[in-house]
This record gives sequence, C-alpha cells and structure tokens, in this order.
Amino acid sequence: MATLPHDDLYQLVREPIDTAALARHVRAPEDGATVTFDGFVRNQSHNRPTLHLDYEAYESMALAKMREIGVQLHEKYSIHRVAMVHRLGRLGIGDTSIFIAVSAPHRAAAFDACRFAIDTLKRTVPIWKKEYFEDGAVWADGELPPAPAATPRAKPAS
Amino acid sequence: MLQPVPLAPSSSAGYNSPVPPVSQTIRVTVLFFGRLKELTGRAEHSIEFADATTIEQLFALYATRHPELAKYRSSVVASRNQEFAAWDTPLRSGDEVAFLPPVSGG
Repeated sequence: MATLPHDDLYQLVREPIDTAALARHVRAPEDGATVTFDGFVRNQSHNRPTLHLDYEAYESMALAKMREIGVQLHEKYSIHRVAMVHRLGRLGIGDTSIFIAVSAPHRAAAFDACRFAIDTLKRTVPIWKKEYFEDGAVWADGELPPAPAATPRAKPAS
Repeated sequence: MLQPVPLAPSSSAGYNSPVPPVSQTIRVTVLFFGRLKELTGRAEHSIEFADATTIEQLFALYATRHPELAKYRSSVVASRNQEFAAWDTPLRSGDEVAFLPPVSGG
C-alpha cells in the first residue's frame, strides 16, 4: 500500500474528539483552506427520540480502511493533510462521532476530498452503531460494503 | 521420497500437496460483529477443520448451529485477514475471518 504523509492522522478513540485541535493540526502555512466534517449524534431517528448510540468497530480493519481512504484522497485530490477520527463506545446526543479535516492549497480540492472521505467511510469502514430508544434498541440500517464477487481464477489459456 | 498423491482429475484445487492430506487441519479465528455477535452469542471463536473449507462453508456451519443466521446471509459481507473477501475464498490455517453486517459508521 502506498504510504501516507507522516503528519496525517487516522484514529479510533473512546474519548470526546477535540475537533478544534484536529482542524488546527492539518493547517500549514502553504495551505489556503481547511474543510472539516463534523458528524454528531442526532436526537431522533425516524421520528423516534434517541437516548444514545453505541458504536463498535472491527478496530484493526477499520483503521486499515480509514488509512486506505487517506491514500485515495492523496491520489485523487491536490490536498495537504488529512485528519480522520472516529469515536467508539457510548455517545450522547450532540457528541461528535466522526470528524474529518482536510487541508489544501485551494478550497475545491479540500471540499471534494472531505466529501469523498465521509461518503467512502460510510460505505467501507467496518463500524456499527446501535440506536437506543425509550422502548428498545436497534442496529442502525447500514450499507453493505462492496466485496469481491468471487475469488480470481487463473486466466484460461487463450 | 514421497510419491505424488494421485489427485482427482480436477484442476480446481489450484495446488498439488507434496504430502498426503491426512492430518491437515486448518485452524481459523472467526469474528462476529453487530447483530451477528448478538445472534451467535460470541464475538470471537476459534475453529478447526479437517478439510478444505471456504468462507461460505464456514458461514453455513455456523448457520446450522444458529439457524437465524441463515436469513442474514444476503446482507453480510465477509473478510479474510482484514480484507473484504469473496464467499468462495478457501481458508488457510491462521486466517482471521470476520462476518460483517451492513456498516453504519459515521
């Protein structure tokens, strides 16, 4: 796998995310813009009041997939630094669950990269949330990650 | 010097074992997440096979123990050693296989 810039940041944490520190972390004098995405816990789901959420992850694979997204970001967009942090465990209403910050010399690349990062994370990173309500709990509807349909076979002789 | 073991006339195995496959056991670690973890009552399981086994066969084995698993087959993806894997992937000893429900991070 391609290497990532050493000052990129990819983390799973169990404490509150310091969003301001991450936004500062990606800034550098040669940049002109930082775009951030702050995903936080909504107070309702399908019009049912939410009490809290529990997030769990396949941690080693989730971190590897987050870093893969980082590699793609640097390949696709003219950006400088990425910080991508997902929180696990019990989160209350308004708590930040995912924070992504992307810096770039120019804003367009930072916007595009940040959007690509959160969209791809939601489809491919093995993290799950359980939603708790007054009258029970459900695993949130999710997306099935794209997986190979079949193992590659040896090419037939042509 | 061992003689090559006569193989069935099939090339699908993909390799010729240099020793007779008598006591070849495959041990894999299986991980369950989300509702699959609740359904099977375990997050991690170590399991051993005598024969070549695919991820599909492994899932089917757990589905015989936990029949409710079967209805989730079409909404599960599998990984082998932390990469998404096709259901027909053959397992090797030491593999870490995980069954992953639709992801909902973010």
